[in-house]
Amino acid sequence: MQSERRMARFDLYERTVHWLAALSYLYAALTGLALWSHKLYWLAWVFGGGVTVRGLHPWGGTIFAVVLAVMFRKWAGQMKLDTDDREWLRKAHKYAVHEEEGVPESGRFNAGQKMLFWSQALATVLLFATGLVLWWPEVMPRTLRLAAVLIHPLAAIGSIGGIIIHIYMGTAAVPGALRSMVQGWVTPSWAASHHRKWYRESSER
Amino acid sequence: MHTVAKLIDTTLCIGCKACEVACQTWNDQEFTLGTFDGSYQTLPDLAPNFWNLIKFNEFERGGKLSWLMSKYQCMHCVDPGCLRACPAPGAIVHLKNGIVDFNHDNCIGCGYCITGCPFDVPRLSPTTKKVYKCSLCSDRTAVGLEPACIKTCPTNCLTFGTREDLLEKAQSRTAELQADGVAAAGVYNPAGVGGTHVLYVLANAARPEDYGLPRDPSVPLAVRLWKGPVKWLGSLVVAGGILGAFFHYVRYGPKKEHADAE
Repeated sequence: MQSERRMARFDLYERTVHWLAALSYLYAALTGLALWSHKLYWLAWVFGGGVTVRGLHPWGGTIFAVVLAVMFRKWAGQMKLDTDDREWLRKAHKYAVHEEEGVPESGRFNAGQKMLFWSQALATVLLFATGLVLWWPEVMPRTLRLAAVLIHPLAAIGSIGGIIIHIYMGTAAVPGALRSMVQGWVTPSWAASHHRKWYRESSER
Repeated sequence: MHTVAKLIDTTLCIGCKACEVACQTWNDQEFTLGTFDGSYQTLPDLAPNFWNLIKFNEFERGGKLSWLMSKYQCMHCVDPGCLRACPAPGAIVHLKNGIVDFNHDNCIGCGYCITGCPFDVPRLSPTTKKVYKCSLCSDRTAVGLEPACIKTCPTNCLTFGTREDLLEKAQSRTAELQADGVAAAGVYNPAGVGGTHVLYVLANAARPEDYGLPRDPSVPLAVRLWKGPVKWLGSLVVAGGILGAFFHYVRYGPKKEHADAE
């Protein structure tokens, strides 16, 4: 049997950080949704009841924020948008429908991934700051609490919207992407197709 | 169905605090000593185990100091902000008789009701991690008794009855006061929260803040947006995102590997 050629895409550290973020995000998001709407309160029972969820949702969010800070430190340097990325974003609608002529080639991360990174970083800062206010309502000034009950869900909505797209792109929409984040490798043709600049740089090395 | 109410005629309050004692006794609350800060008021503020406070508002008029006594407790709003904000089904119950009651078995202690309340009434207990406030003695009214504070009031400053009757009574008392020369007398029944089931007759209705009452209370805009448009936006984004991703796949399918390795 001929073994496939493999290119290393995400090392163990990156994968571990990513999945710690994913798990804590999922916990925070689902318990947050339980407290978001009476119609979703059944989720609170899945996670041990309302009192437990009220007690642990802030901790889940805190763990996520800490993991995201680690991820930020690792990846922020690679997430700067260059001129090709800006062009890519202008042609994102063509990328979305698989008409990729004229869409600039991407580096290790494409512009969509970079935008996800920055938007999640912003949302996490907002969620964590307002989350601290909601955590201890009895000691927080009323004005801060009123701002927090509005900003916390708005940031969560933005974040969840981005994550829905992220999960879709990382699983069904781009075959091979999930394996790159689980096992860490991609095939050369995958890299050449989706991240050509990164493929070339990696091959030259 | 007639709804119930409590009428507080502040012109008749003598600051005896019997209602505070009755409230503590009936609701089986232990009294926690506060700090003495030179006021006749029992405590500076409401507490998780102290739901009914007579405020001794000090008020100066014509160089003379006077007290404007006002009873501070849950207002049992027709449109309760606490209920709008509460995430736990059944933790805050709006009874058919108008009482806004907290069911502590369902309370998760998030404190959102504190933010939703325009009167700053609910108090989170650090020991039980649940929120407490006046229940208008829902356990007494359910069996036809008047609330404990009203039962004990020696001056008839407090009366219990249907909301319709008491609104009428408040109006006639206002007319009486005005005839007696208290021209600024009026009823406090703030429209911003749809009216309340705790009504006041104030000697100076133009300045409710002198009694420690907010001038024009309403469910905070942030809470109304949060539980209104923001909620719709959230549903739209989540449902739209999932359906959008699904139908994107149905229409366009997965990305193909169009390039070969060089």
